[in-house]
Amino acid sequence: MKKILYTLLSLLLFSACSETISDARQEIVPPQIYPDYLGVTIPTNVAPLNFCIADEAALRIDAVITDNYGNNLHSQGRESLKFNLNDWHTLLSQNCGDSLSVTVSAKYDDGWHTYRPFTIYVSPDSIDYGICYRLIEPGYEVWSKMGIYERNLSSFDERALIENTQFEGCVNCHSFNRGNPADMSLHIRGSHGATLLRHNDSPLTAFNTKTSKTLGFCVYPYWHPSGRYIAYSTNATSQLFHSANGNRIEVFDTASDLLVYDIDTNELLLSPLLGQDSIYETFPVFSADGRSLYYCAARALPEGSHQLDSIHYSLCRIDFDPSTGTFGSRIDTIVNAAARHKSVSFPRPSYDGRFLCYTLSDYGQFSIWHHEADLYLLDLSTGESRPMTGANSDDTESFHNWSSNSRWLVFSSRRDDGLFTRPYFCHIDAKGVVGRPFMLPQRNPRRFYRNRFLSFNVPEFIIGPTRFNGHKASRIINDDYRKDFGVRKYVEH
Amino acid sequence: MKGSLFRCSLFTIKALYTLLFGVAVFLFFGLAYPHHLHYQEQYQLFLFDSTYVWEIIRLPGGVADLLGRFCTQFFLFAWVGAAIVAVLLVVVQLLMLRLVSFGRLFGLSFVPSFLLWLFLLDENALLGGVWAVLLTLLAIWSLVHHPPKGRGFVILVTIPILYWMVGPAWNGSHYHRYPTVVPVLLYAAWLSAIILPLAVHACKKWANDTRFSTLFSHLSFLLVAFCMGLLLWKNANFKAERVMQYDFMARHQQWNRILSTIKAEKPNNQIGVTVQNLALAMRGMLADHLFEYHQNGIAGLLPDVERDATSPLPTSEVFYQLGMVYVAQRTVFEAQEAILDFQKSGRCYKRLAQTNLIIGHYEVARKYLTALQKTLFYREWAKETMSLLGNEEAIAKHPEYGRLRQWAYAEDFYFSDHVTPEMLEDLFFSNTDNRLAFEYLKAYYMLTGDRKRYTNLLLHSVSR
Repeated sequence: MKKILYTLLSLLLFSACSETISDARQEIVPPQIYPDYLGVTIPTNVAPLNFCIADEAALRIDAVITDNYGNNLHSQGRESLKFNLNDWHTLLSQNCGDSLSVTVSAKYDDGWHTYRPFTIYVSPDSIDYGICYRLIEPGYEVWSKMGIYERNLSSFDERALIENTQFEGCVNCHSFNRGNPADMSLHIRGSHGATLLRHNDSPLTAFNTKTSKTLGFCVYPYWHPSGRYIAYSTNATSQLFHSANGNRIEVFDTASDLLVYDIDTNELLLSPLLGQDSIYETFPVFSADGRSLYYCAARALPEGSHQLDSIHYSLCRIDFDPSTGTFGSRIDTIVNAAARHKSVSFPRPSYDGRFLCYTLSDYGQFSIWHHEADLYLLDLSTGESRPMTGANSDDTESFHNWSSNSRWLVFSSRRDDGLFTRPYFCHIDAKGVVGRPFMLPQRNPRRFYRNRFLSFNVPEFIIGPTRFNGHKASRIINDDYRKDFGVRKYVEH
Repeated sequence: MKGSLFRCSLFTIKALYTLLFGVAVFLFFGLAYPHHLHYQEQYQLFLFDSTYVWEIIRLPGGVADLLGRFCTQFFLFAWVGAAIVAVLLVVVQLLMLRLVSFGRLFGLSFVPSFLLWLFLLDENALLGGVWAVLLTLLAIWSLVHHPPKGRGFVILVTIPILYWMVGPAWNGSHYHRYPTVVPVLLYAAWLSAIILPLAVHACKKWANDTRFSTLFSHLSFLLVAFCMGLLLWKNANFKAERVMQYDFMARHQQWNRILSTIKAEKPNNQIGVTVQNLALAMRGMLADHLFEYHQNGIAGLLPDVERDATSPLPTSEVFYQLGMVYVAQRTVFEAQEAILDFQKSGRCYKRLAQTNLIIGHYEVARKYLTALQKTLFYREWAKETMSLLGNEEAIAKHPEYGRLRQWAYAEDFYFSDHVTPEMLEDLFFSNTDNRLAFEYLKAYYMLTGDRKRYTNLLLHSVSR
């Protein structure tokens, strides 16, 4: 209904309000636009990059996108451009691996100004169907309305999978196996707490992941490529608040261990190496071949200590044998961030096994509240890490994940206003060259991001619609039944 | 001629009763319950914005909800709010009269309105509920007066439209801030609006008998008014009204009014004591007059931050005035998040814009101010404040923001839900101009009986 309304209104506006640009002053600088799409690399199947003039004094905006074959696409609007969806996709498909030139004009009180054209690169690498994320206010401990949503990246369609209006509590930790929603995990907190699991498109089952032998509930899930295992951490988490620091909040663990859940046997697999009292272990992820487990580890603070700036997580690795569900006997430190008084969070290996992307901040593991947090790329063949300069900004870059073809990275950034997290996408080629990122496109980006007082939390790629039935899920959540996780005894080496 | 005069005078009397009822509602909410209206207003933020409107009206019951929210924004001014409530309740009563001829049972036409009045005594009852009953009555009235031909079709069309407009009247959501609370009184009002006309219609012969008609009309009204008045009196929460008054006065920084209020009646509730102490401190009288008033230990001075939407707001006023800008920001943010029906708050948005402005997070402040610019009553303030963004000189000169920026903590430390004396000491010793911190610190030592620190503080103060 809303879509039809928008389309009709757009058509009406297009036909009635387009102005001819005359006597435009030629500017030698490129335009300042919102979102900043200058020089970005985009996939062929992304939704139109509508944008506005950053300066709100502009009365109208006009843009012509031209390719090297003489095709062009025109849009004009009062506040924002609104490219025709079909024409946009046609133009992009005709320019796969090529570049587009965008000429922008803006009308001010003194007339039209035409700016130096800028370029948009169209990568031949396509992006996945969409992303799935949690929308939540960037708050402290109490939560208001929130939910898990999916967004089609080729259009502007957003759909709620489940919202906390359907049950009492909060929802988080959505996870898919390499973006495939046939394998899905979702965590519910509160009086109806549960972990919902869907394996091989089976019906959802609600699990109680807390056992007498583990610290607490299983969080931060990551699927094994085989779909048989899910790596979790279990964390005793606390929060403290800054009294005079823009980072506002510190979320920290006072204990944490790692575990792997075997779906086939309904057992948690433990290792004494991953449950050491003197070490905080968190954010486990499987390597692309499924034979290693990467995670973050830091020396634990003495009990009661709040020297949070001395918690430094390094990137570690342990072998994992998927045929037996057993762990190796040695821990390798892959990135010794602690030695540099830095801290690693959110390790994410690319699915082609070439790279591992992680967030580096000054301390701790909850980097979303750290303005200094940046993305780093570890070349797994050389072991060398480097900052993803092309993608990073002066503000927070934090959670991230790879597209199923390992050529796109979606990441959270607070560069827009310093508080509300937005999803950005950057292209990473086979050599690790990082393209300029672009913000998730919207129909009218300024209006959309201004009106939305919610952060995009944990953006995950999905290769198709999740087919998640929120009503059925809420019935399962509101029901008392929970299947308990079992625990397998240690297998000593 | 005589009959006509008789009908005319009866009509006039009925109109007078309706007027009397309206005036009673108006005076009740304007005089006895004004802060309940203020309380309602502060837990919503009506935006003149198409996305906001669409998000509400796309849901069943959205029209009633939207109309309720639209009217509630006027509750910022209690008398305007009282007038709106009075008009709505009078319209409900008049619609009842239009549905069926009540005759001798004229007083029963007031029952739904009285029940709605009772419903609105609850500070968490939302005005959308009144609109739901009103719209339902309007729909029934239009159906009753539709010519018989085609009425079936009109009913078929009306039912889904009515469901869209007032839908969840059937299950109560949208009409009470607590989603789990069943608004029994709203149900009762809605049911009475349907059942009473049917019942009167069933005994229309007796009801419309002209013998003693005037007497019965008087009696029925007086009986209903007496019973309902009694119920209103018993159910009105004047204690809550006092608490809300303190919160209101703190919100609007009416320090002198607070002082005269506490002089007349010493508050003994948590919020009242917190606000009383803040007003005393703002006038430099806290330590000297501390024990002339009820105290609640440290909790009356600087209460721990709770996880609800009500008690943290006056507490946050104290944090804000002291210069604990980040603490105030967190407290207000959490209070807003705790609003049970997930609405936003004009009061909280305003304070979040202010705290972000003071700490220099201008883009975040701009976001809140932009939203406030879409409101009726915060627009002008937001526009003025917008001009301060990034203007360091203007902020430094601003009597409130400049002072609070100067008083704010220079050294960072972690805090949680409990204010410690060290937090006050930090405030005062890093900026001895902060007389509010001085007052609070003295009071803190007095309440905890810490003579040593109290003496040291005084010595420090004297030696300056």
